Order: sequence, then C-alpha cells, then structure tokens
Amino acid sequence: MDGVHDIGGREGFGPIVDKADDKPFHADWEMRAFGMKQASASATSWTIDWFRYCRELTGPVDYLTRPYFDLWLTTLAAQLIDEGYLTLDEVKAGAAAFTPKSSRPPQTPEAARAFVKSPRSFAVSVNTPPRFALGEKVRCRLDGGSGHTRLPGYVRGRVGEIDAQHGGHVLADASARGEHRGEHLYTVSFASADLWPEANGSRDRVFVDLWESYLEPA
Amino acid sequence: MASFDGKTISHIHQELHSHLPSEPALRTKALESLLAEKQLIDPAAVDAWIEMYRDEIGPKRGAAVVARAWVDPAFKTRLLADATAAIGEFGFAGHATGHLQAVENTPQVHNLVVCTLCSCYPFSLLGLSPSWYKSNEYRARAVRDPRGVLKEFGVELDEGTQVRVWDSTSERRYLVLPERPKGVEDWDEAALAKLVTRNSMIGAERELSPKRANA
Repeated sequence: MDGVHDIGGREGFGPIVDKADDKPFHADWEMRAFGMKQASASATSWTIDWFRYCRELTGPVDYLTRPYFDLWLTTLAAQLIDEGYLTLDEVKAGAAAFTPKSSRPPQTPEAARAFVKSPRSFAVSVNTPPRFALGEKVRCRLDGGSGHTRLPGYVRGRVGEIDAQHGGHVLADASARGEHRGEHLYTVSFASADLWPEANGSRDRVFVDLWESYLEPA
Repeated sequence: MASFDGKTISHIHQELHSHLPSEPALRTKALESLLAEKQLIDPAAVDAWIEMYRDEIGPKRGAAVVARAWVDPAFKTRLLADATAAIGEFGFAGHATGHLQAVENTPQVHNLVVCTLCSCYPFSLLGLSPSWYKSNEYRARAVRDPRGVLKEFGVELDEGTQVRVWDSTSERRYLVLPERPKGVEDWDEAALAKLVTRNSMIGAERELSPKRANA
C-alpha cells in the first residue's frame, strides 16, 4: 500500500539519534508490549505479512509518532478485534465481557522458547523456472497495488540487475491476504546513481529483495 | 478468522486511537489486563519472551560468530555460503534467522543493513534491534544518504570504497561481517569477540581496532 510506512528515501528527516543506545528495552511497558505481541493467541489465519499490513494501516500521524512497541501492541489489539476475540466495547469499558476460544491458543513459555530456537523457512517450491537470469536487467513495476506489498516506492519504475536468485518464497502480498503461495524471490542490485539525483557519479549500490511479479524485463 | 480487509483495520485503528489511553504505559496496562482476563495471553509466556530478549539473547552471539570467521577460514567460507547453517553450529539459528546472509566488508566495500518498510532484524543472532535502527530517520536516510548516515556514526569512508546498502524487504536477513582489525594477529577468538560491536554487525561501525574499543 502507498502508506507513510514506505519511508525509504523520503527527505526532511534529521540526524540519527541514540546512536550508542544498547538497551533492548527502556521501560517496563515496552517489555510487556513486546512479550504480549509475541505470545498472544490469534486466529490460525494469522501471518507475519498480515501483521505487517495491519501495522502499516495505523493512522499516519500515529505511525510516525507513537513509540515502536506501542505500535506493535495496538496492532495486536486491532487484529484481535478483527478476529472477534476482543471487542471495542470491552476496550471502551476496560472490562472483559466474554472469554473467547481462539483457534490458535496463547503461547506457553515452553512454546515461546522453542519458537526462538527454531529457524523458520519461508521457502516454497515453485513449479516454473525463474523468469530472470543472474545479471539480467529488470525494471520494477510502477504500481505496488493497494494492499500489502514489499516493493518499496523508491525502486518503482527503476532499473536494476538480478544479483541473486533465491528460489520460491512465500509471496508477502498474497500472504497478507491469507493466501499461502510461493513465487521466485531475487535480490536486485540498483546503482545509487539510478535512484537518487544527488548520487550521480557514485559507485554505491542498494540491494533489495524483490519477488518476480514486481519485476519486468528492462 | 482474520478479515484480511484493510478498511476494516483502518477503522479499528481509528477507534483504538480514540478509546485507548494515549500514554503508552497506561495503554499497555489496559490491554494487558484485558488480554489476561480473556485468556488471550499466558503471562508466563510474556515473561519468557522478556527474559530471553532482556537477559539471554543479544549481540554477543553475533560477535562470537564474527570472531570465529576471523580465526577459522573454513567457518568463514561456510558463513558466507549459508549463514543460517553456520550460526546453527553455535545453536543461534532461530527467530528471524531462517534465511540469513552474511555480507563481508573489505577494504573496497562497506555494507550497511536497513529495513525501510518496517524493522526486520536477525533477532536470534543480534537480539532486539537498537532504537536508532527502528527510527524513521534511519529508515528514510540509509538507502539515500548512507555516507551521511555513516559519518554521523563516525565512519569516514574513502571515495574509492563502495557502499552497499541491503534493504531487508523479504524474510531474508543480513549480518555484516566486519574486517578483522590490524594489530591483533595473536589474539584468541574470545578476545577478538570482545572487539565486535552490535553496530558493526549492522554496518554502522567499521574500524574495530582495540585502540578504538578503549577510547
């Protein structure tokens, strides 16, 4: 979606702050919000891409100004309401009216620890050969679609070259709609000079992981 | 079942904005007591996540991997070929590291990792990301002005050194393998690991000589 989250290359942002910060959390509420988002019950239809999409749908002002883990937690609440496990009336009243039976129960501590130790693969076999060859020039589509996508605005319409082929991976756009389907994933390498006017003459490059349907031959 | 409908979620966000306390600690408390009462969370699992990422999992893991790559060429080859398998030798593969790629700094190349669309990060290897990595400023500027960003971190690059920025737009994650500093040829792996900083494994730091570490 063409939201404020698609921030790469936007201008007017100031210096990077807290560069020496080395704490995972800065307040108790951050820890609780993080832990709740990780361990909550959900519908079995939940996917990480649907979560990312729901976070992108935070109102633009809130998205840019509210603290990081607060956005995670509020997105979790929005999803639980959407799934019917929590209601806005309960949020308004600050009191539970019913105990739902979620299709994916809350995580146990043992399951949480096992999850962190289990690398998860998003590879999906795809029956077609990759459309693009290593080194081939490709142009990114101009239109990212109105749903979730991982095609950032700053590469749309731009030409890059295939740096690596990764085989089939879960297509984020489809997964955010509840469809599990694979598509060839590539790393595409762009000359900074082809992306930004002020990088004219630079040898620097930007590498972006992009799915096959985002690309066309250049 | 989720609706998978953007308009529905936008509307819910708007309502939550109006009805949840604005102050983050109060908002968290309000939601935690509701979710616990409704049995949508197991507080012990919430505690487990906090313990793991506050006390157990952090950049020391990544530093151990980098130091091993510096002293063991065969391991370095394995790390560059399949980083998920290589960190698995340490038991570090897991949360958000199912498709890990190591990118190597050389005198000619400097790598920098960002996630412009959200905040993707190799959690089970480096722990939770630093606040600057998640900031709007870093996400906006790293792809467009990497040299300006690096200068703010104290990294001055020669014109001849190519910057490679890696935008984590898929489930693949990136680890920067910094260069082994000069003057520590006789150091063992454990001592070398102490030189490796979190920022250097994201690419926001380059020179890891002990002089700098003590400065």
